Amino acid sequence: MFLIDRRQMLALAAWSAAATKAWAQSPLTTAEHALYDAARREGEITWYSGQYSADASEAAGRAFTARYPGVRCNVVRSTSQVAFQRLSQDQRAGVAQCDVFSSTNGGHYIQLKRQNRLMQFRPASADGLLPMLRQADPDNYFQSSFLGIYLMAHNTRLVSEADAPQSWTDILDPKWRDKLAVGHPGFSGAIGLWALQMRTMFGPDYLRRFERNKPQVGRSSIDPVTMMNAGERGVGVAVPSASTLFAMSRGNPLKLIYPTEGVIAALSPSAIIRNAPHPNAAKLFMEFTCGPALSIAVRELFNESIRPDVQPPEGSRPLDQVRMLAPSLEEAERGVPEVREQWREIFGV
Amino acid sequence: MPRLTLTGLTKAYGRLTVVDRVDLTLEEGEFVSLLGPSGCGKTTTLRMIAGFVDPTGGTISVDGAVLSAPGAVVPPERRGMSMIFQSYAIWPNMTVEENVAFGLKLRRLPGDEVKRRVREMLAVVKLDQLAHRYPAELSGGQQQRVALARAIVVKPSVLLLDEPLSNLDANLREEMRFEIRRLHDEFRITTVYVTHDQAEAMATSDRIAVMNQGRIEQVDAPHLLYTKPRTRFVAGFVGRTNLLEARVEGGRLMLEALDLGPAAAVAPVAADGPVLISLRPQAMTIHEAAPDGPATLVLPATIAERTYLGESWDYVVAPEGTGLRLRVAAPPLEAHDSGRPVWLALDPRQVAIVA
Amino acid sequence: MSAALRPSRLRLLEPVMLLWLALIAALLVLVAGPLLKMVLVSFEMQETGEFTFQNYLTAYGRQRYLDALRNSLLLGALAAAMSVVIAVPMAWAVSRTDMPGKGFTWAMVLAAFVMPPYLGAIGWILLAGPNSGWINVTWRALTGATEPLVNVYTFTGMAFVIALHSFPLVFIFVKSALDLISSEMEDAANILGGGTWTTMRRVTLPLVWPSILGGFILIFLETIALFGTPAIIGIPARINVVTTQLWQFFEDPVRVEVAAAYAIPLLLITVGLIAVQKLMLARKGFVSQTGKGGERREVKLGPWRWVLFGWCLTVGLLAVVKPLLVLLQASFAKAWGRGFSLDNLTLRNYRFILFEHDMAPQSVWNTVWFSAASATIAVILALLVAYIVIRRLMRFADALGFLAMAPFVIPGIVMAIGFYAAYAGPPLSLYGSGLLIILAFAARFLPIAYASSQAAMRAVHPEMEEAARILGSGRLHAIRKVTAPLLKTSLLGGWLVVFIVASRELSAAIFLVGPRTRTMSVLLYDLTEQGNFEVVAAFGGVLLVITMVIVGIGMKLVGRDFMLRRE
Repeated sequence: MFLIDRRQMLALAAWSAAATKAWAQSPLTTAEHALYDAARREGEITWYSGQYSADASEAAGRAFTARYPGVRCNVVRSTSQVAFQRLSQDQRAGVAQCDVFSSTNGGHYIQLKRQNRLMQFRPASADGLLPMLRQADPDNYFQSSFLGIYLMAHNTRLVSEADAPQSWTDILDPKWRDKLAVGHPGFSGAIGLWALQMRTMFGPDYLRRFERNKPQVGRSSIDPVTMMNAGERGVGVAVPSASTLFAMSRGNPLKLIYPTEGVIAALSPSAIIRNAPHPNAAKLFMEFTCGPALSIAVRELFNESIRPDVQPPEGSRPLDQVRMLAPSLEEAERGVPEVREQWREIFGV
Repeated sequence: MPRLTLTGLTKAYGRLTVVDRVDLTLEEGEFVSLLGPSGCGKTTTLRMIAGFVDPTGGTISVDGAVLSAPGAVVPPERRGMSMIFQSYAIWPNMTVEENVAFGLKLRRLPGDEVKRRVREMLAVVKLDQLAHRYPAELSGGQQQRVALARAIVVKPSVLLLDEPLSNLDANLREEMRFEIRRLHDEFRITTVYVTHDQAEAMATSDRIAVMNQGRIEQVDAPHLLYTKPRTRFVAGFVGRTNLLEARVEGGRLMLEALDLGPAAAVAPVAADGPVLISLRPQAMTIHEAAPDGPATLVLPATIAERTYLGESWDYVVAPEGTGLRLRVAAPPLEAHDSGRPVWLALDPRQVAIVA
Repeated sequence: MSAALRPSRLRLLEPVMLLWLALIAALLVLVAGPLLKMVLVSFEMQETGEFTFQNYLTAYGRQRYLDALRNSLLLGALAAAMSVVIAVPMAWAVSRTDMPGKGFTWAMVLAAFVMPPYLGAIGWILLAGPNSGWINVTWRALTGATEPLVNVYTFTGMAFVIALHSFPLVFIFVKSALDLISSEMEDAANILGGGTWTTMRRVTLPLVWPSILGGFILIFLETIALFGTPAIIGIPARINVVTTQLWQFFEDPVRVEVAAAYAIPLLLITVGLIAVQKLMLARKGFVSQTGKGGERREVKLGPWRWVLFGWCLTVGLLAVVKPLLVLLQASFAKAWGRGFSLDNLTLRNYRFILFEHDMAPQSVWNTVWFSAASATIAVILALLVAYIVIRRLMRFADALGFLAMAPFVIPGIVMAIGFYAAYAGPPLSLYGSGLLIILAFAARFLPIAYASSQAAMRAVHPEMEEAARILGSGRLHAIRKVTAPLLKTSLLGGWLVVFIVASRELSAAIFLVGPRTRTMSVLLYDLTEQGNFEVVAAFGGVLLVITMVIVGIGMKLVGRDFMLRRE
């Protein structure tokens, strides 16, 4: 065989086969049954996804298609701000294309809800979510679908564990000049939340001081992971735990840093767009999202499970042992565009 | 010392020899044409003189210094020559003035001298009013003058012209012929002129070298080339002619039964035996009645065919008692009907024995 | 005049007139419509549609926006200048000298042309990242230096990467102009005392000055319209340019009006550049039309020919070989940062992209289908327009030709915004449909098809067709049976070139794609957001394979240099 790591391949094949099979074969719930036939008549669902990484989003899409044969999931994965931009372009052009919209920036939902662009729907499976995720919106316009942990990480070859920054303010020290990497709030929703949270906690000057250390700016919050893998930068700021753990699993010398103040937790919802072209399939997708199938599919790629009945991923610190920082959705709606604009003034891009 | 000497100059591409042991000498101030049909090697010879083509044999020297020999060729830019090209090769992105000044500037002459000489040169070729025009704004004849000015202004040791008039229409061509000769008379630059047009060569040259299949057939003054061609090729290529089989018998040149006089008068040495002679259509005249005159041979003949060419009549005349059919030229007013018996007068001095 | 003396109107009417009208309509829809709409929209208030200048105030009301504009202009000028420096010696060497390795040089130019610029950009991130790029790693290992040798995340770095993929345009322009110069032009300078270098500097290159200038302008325009490279390199390098700024105007709420206003100067600059070009070239003549006696000889360079070959080799290495190698390595790597080692090899990236990715196969299909459809539309339109223009069939034929050539000088991103403004929303609501992209691509690449059709059409003598018509064949029938077959090869060549450039187009596509109409280039761009270069490289590999197949077919059917030929 041509130089493939057979063991890895077999393992990968095994988990994906096993996981998808298990949940494809587990009986559909009543709620799922109720939607399935109508969904099958619609045939497909288009999912604008900015929450899970490309790999995980694709895995989720495959799991969905496997569980509900005859209903195809079109995964349109991009960064959250870009997904929202596409949604806005659809709206501007008066063309309905998106069924379910998933963004790490919870503020998007407050805006969409206010603009009356969301469909009210509560999937039955939402009752099985982690308690803190169970009721994202009292009016049920959107439901939690993602719990992203954003923290710091370092390349152990470039930065020793002893030297590694311990808190969000450590990285303001000039000794980290030219060693940091970060995503961009104009692209990544999570980076928007992070920047907002930093501004709230440490004052408006934080970003300016952070900029003085010349962090390398990518687009996605995952970009810094790549930069650390390559050895281009030693410390990744506000990187998702899932992508970092995944990179570590592939042999990259990275290590997670849980900042002393706490991690940024993106408790992000998904919602059905009011004029969704496939409303029943969209509802079915929401049942799927809040149900165990999604958590199972994405945990294999080190994403946090959003249900207590699905185990957290390997290598991640249990959620009850970490302090989670997060702006409220309302804060996010107002604050993220502000902080994004401030970022652009400071960083020039 | 001659200005330009070609000795055994040869150019071969593989097994194809395009220039074959050419010897030619030009005295200072001489104007020599290389005349021949296309493919005869005249342009290759010229380009070897210019240094664009390396010879495979022989040498080229100027004022005694060897410029080209196999494996040792001075590049064109260091030969101090200049050249006029078939396409003129006027640089369209430079004005007339810039074109002419180009060679002078390369010679690093002081700016005001460049200006002065360009001005003078343009006056000579009557382009002084057009100095700031671009070539695209000039007529074909004017472009040709620019090319001449550009080549002459640098006072080259040798001036080379490669079919310079072939892109002009007939009237302009005639005018430029005289222009080229006039400039030569004024500047006395040693000149090699390549052309396939004999009229052009005749009008401009001191001597003409007729080339055929890579070799020089004959080098002579234009009128001698015409009246005394030495080879069959030259006789046929330069002007039209009657090529006839004759014999030398006892020192006399015999055309069938006709005695053309002593062979020694026509060619230096002529042993007895068959020879080929060239008899120009212009060497004969047609008369209604027998003319008298000591130097001419007169014989009765019949007009066989006639064609009117505008400037002249072209008759085919059959002398009585022979199988000959001779082309004879006559002025437009001398019209004779076909089949008419006439007298044909023949000037033996214009007979040439050719090899 | 009595009716009996003239043929009846029916016999005068060629049915083909209707087609001409349709053609004009098509050009208006494809070219004039979007531009007009964009200009109009730039003066409209969002939602109400009232007349306003507010969009311009918003678009230029901030230092950052102005900086982006300035950056774009500088970047365009720098990339264009670099391209000229790279390409002109190569073109001269290939066209006029006895430099060895001309075939190799051709291949490198072709490959650099075919390689999508964003892939090259990713390759160069892997090569010239200040800390991890292979070049810098090697440099440090060899010299013990601590500072990087090269840094792709700089203004010049970005311009250089752009130039490495733009220079083929200058090369093609300049080489085809050089090919037209008869050697006598150079000989004339030689014999007057100019050596090889003097002649090249003072005669040969000035003669092709318009082509150099044309290439410069084209690359300038392409660069300011480029989206991928500025997004991939420019953001980490903290350089904001017009295209990334335009992208920001498409953030929620989508401000097409402001984007249109912001894009207008690009159009004005284009118009200005073309005016300047006209002015600079005014009276002068250039490449000589007196083709007679135009024998061409190779200039003998002696040892210098190796220097020139070295230059071509270096360019080939930098533009093609090195980026391709690192991309290839990354595409087969588990983690590209770990370098070349056996235990780092995997096919997982290819497997993911080919079998596990939901959108990838769809995007491959989209790319092929959109490119083929737009190439077909462009070639048919171009052929008909060229026919009318060359045969002078109508009074305003030249206007048609002008419309067909206009997109050549309109930055692609401006075109895309025009299309978005005109056709994305009601009444046509084409957003999200493949048709929008096909039309935009067809319009954007119409000039390429037009140029090749025009040249081909010139070569077919009208008498060929007249011979058919006098025998009773209608005009369209004659075109179909006589003219088109004679043009087949050229048309196929034009079709393939449009196909290839369309298959790698990103700048126009990025604003027009919907969820089901993503092309490979857009998907690649989306994938780069994931920071997962291994997968990106693998997908890039797939794109290159597809392109290579097309190029291979082209070479087989049309001839080796079909992409670089400009008749």
